[in-house]
Amino acid sequence: MAKNESSIDTKKLAKEFNNLGEGAIVLIETSAEKILEVHLTAVKWLSDKKYTQIVLSTSRPCKNLLDLYKKNNIDTSKIIILCTVCQEKEKNKQENSKVIHISSCASLTEISLSLSKGMESIKDKKFIFIDSINTMLIHNEPKMLARFIHSILTKMRTNNVSGLLISLEVDTDKEVRAEIAQLCDKIIKV
Amino acid sequence: MMELPAETYFEAASDSVKALVGQGFEGVYISFQRPFANVQSLFKQQGIDTNKFFIVDVATAFAQEEHKKHERCVHISPAIDIDELVRAIYTSMDKIKSKKKFIFIDSLTTVSLYKPLSEVLRFCEFLTRIVRNHKLEGVTLIFNVAKDLAQKRFIKDIALNVDEVVSR
Repeated sequence: MAKNESSIDTKKLAKEFNNLGEGAIVLIETSAEKILEVHLTAVKWLSDKKYTQIVLSTSRPCKNLLDLYKKNNIDTSKIIILCTVCQEKEKNKQENSKVIHISSCASLTEISLSLSKGMESIKDKKFIFIDSINTMLIHNEPKMLARFIHSILTKMRTNNVSGLLISLEVDTDKEVRAEIAQLCDKIIKV
Repeated sequence: MMELPAETYFEAASDSVKALVGQGFEGVYISFQRPFANVQSLFKQQGIDTNKFFIVDVATAFAQEEHKKHERCVHISPAIDIDELVRAIYTSMDKIKSKKKFIFIDSLTTVSLYKPLSEVLRFCEFLTRIVRNHKLEGVTLIFNVAKDLAQKRFIKDIALNVDEVVSR
């Protein structure tokens, strides 16, 4: 990972992850400068811990994410990306790898069904990673998004799936933030 | 009404449940936020005797997930009719032996994501009325809300009718 002034303390973050119980759901609040690094640190940690990850990407196309994972020596064999960004444009190119294309991040039902299918089909220990709440808020009504998050978190808890949600600390609507934060097991500020 | 910090919401709510059970209360915990197994397992980790109350699992119904049977879990159908919910609370309260009873609503704002505010208000008003009119005797009714959401108009309306608002 490229180091710069806004670099995060990866060891501290990894320590926070190590302290999480099985099935825990965490909200990470960070800044726009650090969000990519937090994403990559989290995915790497999960990958090293042999989790099968479902990454819901709402801001970067899957191809870009896969490139970044490779550059950062992240094993992508156990990563499934739900890509809401590149839509149909790259569908044919990506179908062979573990990418599921969603028409947009406003398609909450489609996302929910894909996440549910993913949770059911993966037998190993699994993790759902939502990046990010803020992008989803651009495309969805705050109340609908909070309801979607509640529904997904309940499905995850029912299936004992751990989860990570990323949001920007300063930019998130105060009410949505409170609504989502109260549903999580831990809030980590990076 | 308890106003809890969003960052430590469940922890703060379980502290209240632990204190109630520790004082000999038994009751009904209405879980809008989390499915039964999750709530029960976290309570057990915190040393709370989960045989002292029933958990009405509304979260599972909201997410339209399958229910698993458990003697301490009360299921609600996915339609989540407020009258059905009130009936479930009533029926569960009937099974409580202790003279000191509680009804614990884990989150007023979570239910409002799924139900119209008029229904949420009707639900709260109904519970407040039956507790006040002693139709259910010796019952302490506790509504919980995240501190950052306590300024919402409908929460203020509910807060007007409670005896005490505690901010943690």
